[in-house]
Amino acid sequence: MILLIILLIPIITGLFLLFLRNPATVRIIALLSAVVNLILTLGLIITIPSASYSVNWDNFMGTQFSLGFDGISLIMLLLTNLLFPFIILSGFTRSHVQIPVLNFLILFTQSALIGVFLAQNAFLFYIFWELTLIPVYFILLLWGGENRRAITLKFFIYTLTGSLFLLFGIIFLFQLTPGLHTTDFSAFNQLHIAAHTQTWLFWVLFIAFAIKMPVFPFHTWQPSTYTMASKQGVMILAGVLTKMGIYGALRFLFPIVPQGVLYWQNTVIIMCLIGVIYASVIAFRQTNIKRLIAFSSMAHISLMAAAMFAVNYYSTQGLLFQVISHGVTIVALFYMVHLIQERTSTLDLSQMGGLKLAAPNMAILLLIIILGSIALPLTSGFVGEFLIIMGLAKLSVWFAAFGGTTMILGAIYMLYAYQRIMLGDKNPALVKVKDIRTLDYFILIPLIAAIIILGIYPQPILNLVEVSVNSMQKLFLPANEMVNLFVR
Amino acid sequence: MSALILLTVFGIIVLYLGFANNKKLLAPVAITGLVISMVLSLKDWGLGSKYFHDMMIIDNFSIAFNVSMLIITILIFLFGINYYQRMEHHVAEQYALMIFALTGAFLMTSFSNLIMLFLGIEILSIPLYILAGGKKTSYRSNEASFKYFLLGSFATAFFLFGIALVYGASATFYLPEIKTYIASFNGHLPPMVMLGLLFILIGVAFKVAVAPFHFWSPDVYEGSPTLVTAFMATVVKTAGFAAFYRLLGMGLLPLPAPLEKTLWVMTGLSLLVGNLAALNQSNFKRLLAYSAIVHTGFMMLAMLSQHDSSATVLLYYTFVYSLATVPLFIIFIHMKRASEGLEELSIFRGLYKQKPWMAVFMTILLMSLAGLPPTAGFLAKYRVFILSISRGYLAISIFAILMAIIGIYYYFYVLREAFSESDNPNPIEISKLNAVLIVVCGVAVLLLGVFFFQIPI
Repeated sequence: MILLIILLIPIITGLFLLFLRNPATVRIIALLSAVVNLILTLGLIITIPSASYSVNWDNFMGTQFSLGFDGISLIMLLLTNLLFPFIILSGFTRSHVQIPVLNFLILFTQSALIGVFLAQNAFLFYIFWELTLIPVYFILLLWGGENRRAITLKFFIYTLTGSLFLLFGIIFLFQLTPGLHTTDFSAFNQLHIAAHTQTWLFWVLFIAFAIKMPVFPFHTWQPSTYTMASKQGVMILAGVLTKMGIYGALRFLFPIVPQGVLYWQNTVIIMCLIGVIYASVIAFRQTNIKRLIAFSSMAHISLMAAAMFAVNYYSTQGLLFQVISHGVTIVALFYMVHLIQERTSTLDLSQMGGLKLAAPNMAILLLIIILGSIALPLTSGFVGEFLIIMGLAKLSVWFAAFGGTTMILGAIYMLYAYQRIMLGDKNPALVKVKDIRTLDYFILIPLIAAIIILGIYPQPILNLVEVSVNSMQKLFLPANEMVNLFVR
Repeated sequence: MSALILLTVFGIIVLYLGFANNKKLLAPVAITGLVISMVLSLKDWGLGSKYFHDMMIIDNFSIAFNVSMLIITILIFLFGINYYQRMEHHVAEQYALMIFALTGAFLMTSFSNLIMLFLGIEILSIPLYILAGGKKTSYRSNEASFKYFLLGSFATAFFLFGIALVYGASATFYLPEIKTYIASFNGHLPPMVMLGLLFILIGVAFKVAVAPFHFWSPDVYEGSPTLVTAFMATVVKTAGFAAFYRLLGMGLLPLPAPLEKTLWVMTGLSLLVGNLAALNQSNFKRLLAYSAIVHTGFMMLAMLSQHDSSATVLLYYTFVYSLATVPLFIIFIHMKRASEGLEELSIFRGLYKQKPWMAVFMTILLMSLAGLPPTAGFLAKYRVFILSISRGYLAISIFAILMAIIGIYYYFYVLREAFSESDNPNPIEISKLNAVLIVVCGVAVLLLGVFFFQIPI
């Protein structure tokens, strides 16, 4: 029952908001609902004994509508409900343009995302998967920046193309199930599909997720969409929507077409690693900060995708840890970018510089976030990427070496960007820039705290996913070493 | 049967009411007739009665399709109350002709004899030729009527010739007998029968506008009065497909390989041609005409899969498609009025600004046509794909999926217009009744998408 409540709170609150007029009340109610949802999620995570992580069932309306969770869903659920209060909070600005509609769309997205992560039925999963796209489409279309109409349509068509292939895959699996056909994941997982079928089915299923993440060469929608998206739009996109791709791949590919995964493992990892280096190199050449961070996000996500396909204990744990870490970091980063944009009214790196003199507090916070993003030890990014690279190294040293370039290249372009924004001589155009407001602290401090706390004490997250990671390993390597990296 | 007779009687009553010059009475009387006819139809559910030496079989299949067409016609008449308010003369004829067309449609859903099918098609078509030319002073409307009439007669001639050829070979008009006759050849049909069947298929394909027999539809859709276009795009298409399914799915399928291949090619062509042409349209009515051709392709896919539940899926698909198409045409009528008679896609600009709720419902309706969850259109496409994939037609299914993606592009292009700014100062006026109907259709599309409906027919 609790799952249904968590699923419905945002959408019901959102519908309610449509009838309100006062922007301030709307925002506060939206925030309250998100906070309540976060508390419920945390409660769920704390009270459920770890043994029952594997699968929990709540049945409504027969099997068509079944919600449940395992460790992987919980991580995703936690990420979603953790980030949305901050995303809503970041909308507490002076702007008064259609606040009820905007908050409705945000909460609608939240519900759809929760649905994706909790669905235990592929059909239901698909419906929620597509549902997330609708509100996001409108958030981008109505609140986006320059050239938004063309870019939004491109984004929409691009992601839908993948989804429809996924639909084909789901129907194909559906008619393979024995007896009365069903789309339950549990039935899908027990299918023993012929190896040659798995090799092509892998791509049918994977394309949707590859586009969503995005993995090279399916990434072309991403930089322009991120750049033109509004503050909250880009936070939702980069923070949570990309994780849908990872979650979908974990949910579909590994249990259902394991042989397909093994067959294409190296190809996909190489694709991902090309993405890592490609995105990093391009990030170098950007003069627009938002674009730069878009490419940096792509590099990190590509590394996560590579880790996913390395399928060993460390890489999977690192991946799931990094899901949280990347989500938190990227949301903080994009929020910071928007603060800078609001204050300097530009995103062009060449026109900035010397911002530190005018806004010292902002400079400090940005530095911490950037250090988290480039995976400095004692930040959460380090734990995740370290585990990932360790996992990759078990497969091949070369993979680890190329994967490791994210950290090095990331450090170069991020610090370079920091230098261009904050450091340097006094900039006459930016002297009057105001420093951070109290509201911004409410958003940035918790996020930064999460980055640091998880960097020092990552164990709760790692424990959360332990059982799921182990059960995923069993799909591939019956006798895998099951040692936890961090001594308890 | 009583439903059919009653419908004819009501058609005549409405026609005579026209003499009384009481415009307000027309729609209520016509709708009453349709509702009574619907009740009478439903009373026959499960009986499977036969009439006229088995020339007509009214079974669950025909009742389900009849009721679905009645519902859509009632919807169109309800919208007609406002639409025909401005028209001074000949309103009664509009209603009466639509009712007469509907009687033809009833024959098409329940024939078991090719002559009956021919009669049905003719009774359906002749009122439509007149309706298409409803705007007597409009050049385009006249063109539409004339074009429809010429090409329609041409197709009818083909159809009749096909019947004659088949009759010449098999000495029967009855579908089951023709089927046994075809089966007796084990796939090696004599050329005469082959040609006859091909001509019959062409005749029906023309009526439902399957590519490559679709060329009339964009012009006729564009030229006809919009409400008539809505009628053609929904009720006529449903009737055509019911007839097609009775002819093939319940009758002649599996056909000899060359004919079946022809049908598959027609399916693929409908999907492709409809989409590619729709991409390039700036006129909303033409866009919907081409999108209707694409939907025809999906319906063909459902039919040709020859699954046990093909009929149910076809019913669901046509109904859901009609339920989304009619209100879209109505929204278009209002936008057209607000923009002084333009029909371009750009007239939708500013809809969100002026009437946000209308833009929301337009979103739902377009999403349904595009086949996105959680609307009924998604479920319809999903069920079509289930049929085709479970019967192993993988290649054409993937092709259809690709085509569905193209569809999303142009539907969302329209949507994008609705959500962008406009410099048109004219207010969009909409009556309460129409507003309620649009909302009802939108909600129905959503509900049908959430709850499966499974009618065993």
